[in-house]
Amino acid sequence: MLELRDIHKQWDHRPLLAGVSLSVQAGETVALLGASGSGKSTLLKIAAGLEAPDAGTVWFDGVDITELPPEQRGFALMFQDFALFPHLNVVDNVAFGLVEQGVRKAQARERARTMLQRFGLGAHANSRVWTLSGGEQQRVALARALITQPRALLLDEPFSALDATLREQLRGEFRERIREAGIAAILVTHDEAEARAMAQRAWGMKDGALVPLW
Amino acid sequence: MQRLTARSLALLPLAFLAVLLAAPVLRLLAEGFGTGDLGGGVVPGEPLRWLALWQDDYLRWRVVWSFLQAAITCVLALLLGLPVAWVLARREFAGRALVLRLLMLPFVVPTLVAALGVLALWGPRGWLGAPLAEAGLSLEETPWLLLYGNLFFNLCLVVRAGVDALEQVSAPRVAAARTLGATPWRAFWRVEWPSIAPWLASALCLVFLYCFSGFGLALILGGQRYATVEVEIYTLVAYELALGPAGVLAVWMLGLTGAVALGYAWLERRLAAPGRVTPIARTRPRGALQWLAVWAAVAVLLLVCAAPLIAILGHAARAFWQGQGAAVLAEPETLAALWNTLRFTAMALTLATGLGLSHALAVRAIDSAGAVRGASAAQGAWALGWRTAAYLPFVVSPVTVAFGLLLLYPSWTASLALLIGAYALLAYPFVAKSLMAALDNLPANYAQAAATLGARPWRVLWRVTLPLVGKALRRGMAFAAATALGEFAVTLFLSRPEWTTLTTLIYQRLGRPGGANLDAALVLACVLMGLALLAFTLIEGPSDDADPATKTRVG
Repeated sequence: MLELRDIHKQWDHRPLLAGVSLSVQAGETVALLGASGSGKSTLLKIAAGLEAPDAGTVWFDGVDITELPPEQRGFALMFQDFALFPHLNVVDNVAFGLVEQGVRKAQARERARTMLQRFGLGAHANSRVWTLSGGEQQRVALARALITQPRALLLDEPFSALDATLREQLRGEFRERIREAGIAAILVTHDEAEARAMAQRAWGMKDGALVPLW
Repeated sequence: MQRLTARSLALLPLAFLAVLLAAPVLRLLAEGFGTGDLGGGVVPGEPLRWLALWQDDYLRWRVVWSFLQAAITCVLALLLGLPVAWVLARREFAGRALVLRLLMLPFVVPTLVAALGVLALWGPRGWLGAPLAEAGLSLEETPWLLLYGNLFFNLCLVVRAGVDALEQVSAPRVAAARTLGATPWRAFWRVEWPSIAPWLASALCLVFLYCFSGFGLALILGGQRYATVEVEIYTLVAYELALGPAGVLAVWMLGLTGAVALGYAWLERRLAAPGRVTPIARTRPRGALQWLAVWAAVAVLLLVCAAPLIAILGHAARAFWQGQGAAVLAEPETLAALWNTLRFTAMALTLATGLGLSHALAVRAIDSAGAVRGASAAQGAWALGWRTAAYLPFVVSPVTVAFGLLLLYPSWTASLALLIGAYALLAYPFVAKSLMAALDNLPANYAQAAATLGARPWRVLWRVTLPLVGKALRRGMAFAAATALGEFAVTLFLSRPEWTTLTTLIYQRLGRPGGANLDAALVLACVLMGLALLAFTLIEGPSDDADPATKTRVG
């Protein structure tokens, strides 16, 4: 279980997060809804270890991981603009995390190819990432995130760069893949329909605090 | 952690700047303020004597002329450069891309090569200078040679800045002006000019700085009457051992260049993040008048920027044809100079790359820490200060650096470490500047994504950051290599006779009497130019190698 306990964070001398607590069970997806600048992405980055809270702690399965650097947390974060590495091709993007786990490059590539086949992207394995469509880039980003078998998946507005049709199509696919992986997931979004399609529970972020939505 | 990383990264360049730049400059200030002697008797501890510079006719002329030649160059570069830039920014014609690429050439050509190029064209034995001299119009001992040399370097800078600026002009705004009744000329004056003026002002600040603190061109082309303050400092130190007056002059130069550099920094901050605009589309020239404008622009660039280099090549080709060129290349002193040039450049480039990387990564780490925590005023000042520190070696002239080092470390002046350190000091800002710009444009998401995928900070740097800024790093290194290859002022001050480089050998050849020595100098200049271009091309890599960091991230 991923837990954020009493998280405080100031930005520019103003409180952005004022004692936020949240817990997500394995296999569960929780949505965070809120306006731009409400602090939801900051909360996600604190969970990922990319930002440190001013106060409060982050726990996973009963272990305090607040001081753990991001590379040792075993969480995967998906960015709004996917953050695919433009100097690597599709298969090397997907294999990136495996290589960091110490898997030999050839083996990592093989596993990445298998993953890409499952995601319907086998034909694009050797393509450069910028030649792919928005939806294909999104799938590559999810494949890259899931191949390392992360303990939690953090999604920062993953569909906001896509058009409405593609967004709707990918929501279902993502929900299924996250369910298959059986991991805790936090989805940050400002789109309520997206939150309803993807998450079992949802919280609204307002004035630095979480308000239960459903 | 990030703060710790920033500090440890900043340590190396900070120590380097302190030892090789700040300390010598402070020593120079002490010399200038403390002695204040202009030759009328040493009066230690009488600081106001340094104002006596303005009562000395000879030295006053040196400062005034340095200022004048820089100002005249700025005016000429603007008058010639703006129309050329406008043509290149607004007209589409075959070879335009090549012309824009060739505009980089003067930035790579060493100062001495440019000086020789001017002599090969306008000197007493030059292609155009010889017939003029026969007609009784000798250009020697006139300011023309120096001004022409200044233009060779700086016209390209103004043209490039002008093209960049004109491409930032918003097409809808110009269209709005036209629909509101403005003629093309009025639309230019009322809409385009206000947009591009700050960019041009920034470029002209740089032109002024380069010319005002220029050394190599003024030493060779200025003659007795039109040499600049930097040449005077060198003469006072090297030939008259008059350190007091040299110190006074150096302090004045430092103050004046510092003031212009501050103006430049202020303008640059105003120009930061111009935002996205819809640029005005280029059109193919229509009608004789528009084609005439294109040809005139190309002719100006040929005459000012290409002709000196073509003249060098022509003279060198003739020397080789007559057999003298090969003989010059086979001489032991040429081979020794070539070897010294190459090994000093390699050593300086290695050091400059390490320093530039550390400096730029420290800036990135400071900025990231500020972005994560919300930067306080002190952190903001530290970030800005450290960013600006990379430009310090640009502000302090090589002569000032070398003179300061000579004063501060007299027992080290013949040490190779100090010479290479000084080379690296002048070269590393190119690496740092290029990398800082690339890192500023690199989204933080890449490093964050790599970290969440399990990459440690060192692995993030190695697998993600460096490959993405590789092109910028290579470009910075290419400029650094060109700087080290063509270094002249510092070598004159700090070198030993057995460390003669190609630049100092060219200077020695010029000082020897006879046409054969001038031809030999031109052959050596040709070799140096080829070397600089080769190093630049090899290090920078192919131009069509698109920068991966700029690729579209969302299709």
